[in-house]
Amino acid sequence: MKLQHYLGGLENLGPVDVEKQVFVQPWEKRIFGIHTTMMAESAHLIDALPGYPMDTLPTAFKNTWTWASLRTGAEGMQPFEYFKFRYYEKWLMGISGFFVDQGYVSGDELKSRAEHYRREPDAPLPDQPNPAIREQIVRYLQEGDSGLRPYDAAPLFSDGQRVIVADPVAVDHTRLPGYLRNKPGTIVEVYAGAFAYFVNTGLDGIGEPMPVYRVAFDAADIWGEDKSEPNTTIYADLFEAYLQGPARS
Amino acid sequence: MSQLFDYEQQREAESAAKVRALEALLIEKGVIGSDSVDTVLGHFETVAGPFNGAKIVARAWVDAEYKARLLADTPAAIAELNLAQGMDGAEGEHMLAVANSADVHNLIICTLCSCYPWPILGLPPYWYKDPVFRARGVREPRAVLREFGVPVSADTEVAVWDSSAQIRWFVVPERPADSAHLSEEQLAALVTPESMMGVALVQLPAA
Repeated sequence: MKLQHYLGGLENLGPVDVEKQVFVQPWEKRIFGIHTTMMAESAHLIDALPGYPMDTLPTAFKNTWTWASLRTGAEGMQPFEYFKFRYYEKWLMGISGFFVDQGYVSGDELKSRAEHYRREPDAPLPDQPNPAIREQIVRYLQEGDSGLRPYDAAPLFSDGQRVIVADPVAVDHTRLPGYLRNKPGTIVEVYAGAFAYFVNTGLDGIGEPMPVYRVAFDAADIWGEDKSEPNTTIYADLFEAYLQGPARS
Repeated sequence: MSQLFDYEQQREAESAAKVRALEALLIEKGVIGSDSVDTVLGHFETVAGPFNGAKIVARAWVDAEYKARLLADTPAAIAELNLAQGMDGAEGEHMLAVANSADVHNLIICTLCSCYPWPILGLPPYWYKDPVFRARGVREPRAVLREFGVPVSADTEVAVWDSSAQIRWFVVPERPADSAHLSEEQLAALVTPESMMGVALVQLPAA
């Protein structure tokens, strides 16, 4: 198991941080903006429902970059390292590492340019606006990248059915919260249509379009009667590959 | 203590220099434009943000039929309001509202990452991304809510919504008592991002 997949339920962590800011340092905004630009330029958007002009977009970026890319990186971190770094520190590490690994920038030029800005924090950025990329960013933010796709087969499970959550091998990335594995729940909604995921997660089982279910769990069924708070229901949206059933009652 | 402080300052300065170096190199190499990052950030100042969610909630408070439509078909009800284009855009393609009441208190969480309804709430605050919140919110939500200053009676069900697939959830909080004299616009001004994720109640300003 990877600790990042099993965060839900971890104990002995002390009080929650009630910090309400979105960014706690100005530099964090820049890495968020770079990431979101990459998502708007991602090669996989050629197949997105809004019909984005990925084949003609004037950018040197030719990779697919989605939430799955960022999440896979975070889930791949050594778990104790994962907790040492703040949210956007992990983004900066993951995204700069990606650009070096893919050969867009070299580690040396990134290092020497960072030393330059360390000495002169207010030195300007290059002035090379790109109106076509700007237009694509605005369109992407307005029109998004829904995973909703046609699907011919009938859903395997139905509203009201008791199910047990599957326990597939989590390879590099999963959308199945670890604390729900092997737990019994009740389907309370079969979402209309089917949903693809950004990448095929291999043995984990998602990627191709499949039905998604809203599953209700009694907290006592997850944590145990004596170890859970009373009168508490946990809902999760689970891809069909993450369910088996029916549960023996 | 001062050494720790120096270290933190250095850590931030190094991250700031590194991200600026990365942005500069990506601009030079034609990966992004020099206006790209600001275009993204501008979207979250003017188009997508909690100001949209606040308008949706205030409308639901003053119009019970609208509230019913919002809970039954969230995207269609949002589309009724005259909000900016893009309310079903990135990270809001499939949004659903749940309403707090005397019977149930809703808490939104994303235990695997930080899924959040961007168009109507903007970007997630740090508490939502914090591993401690993500770990404890599903195990002891009532204790977590108490730490946020929201005690929930044992008679009230707590419903925790773990955003693990396509749906981005948000909460219609309860309208504060004694607010009948307030206009829809005045009500919207009271609605916080935290209240729309379930970790705060909406309160009248202290008299």
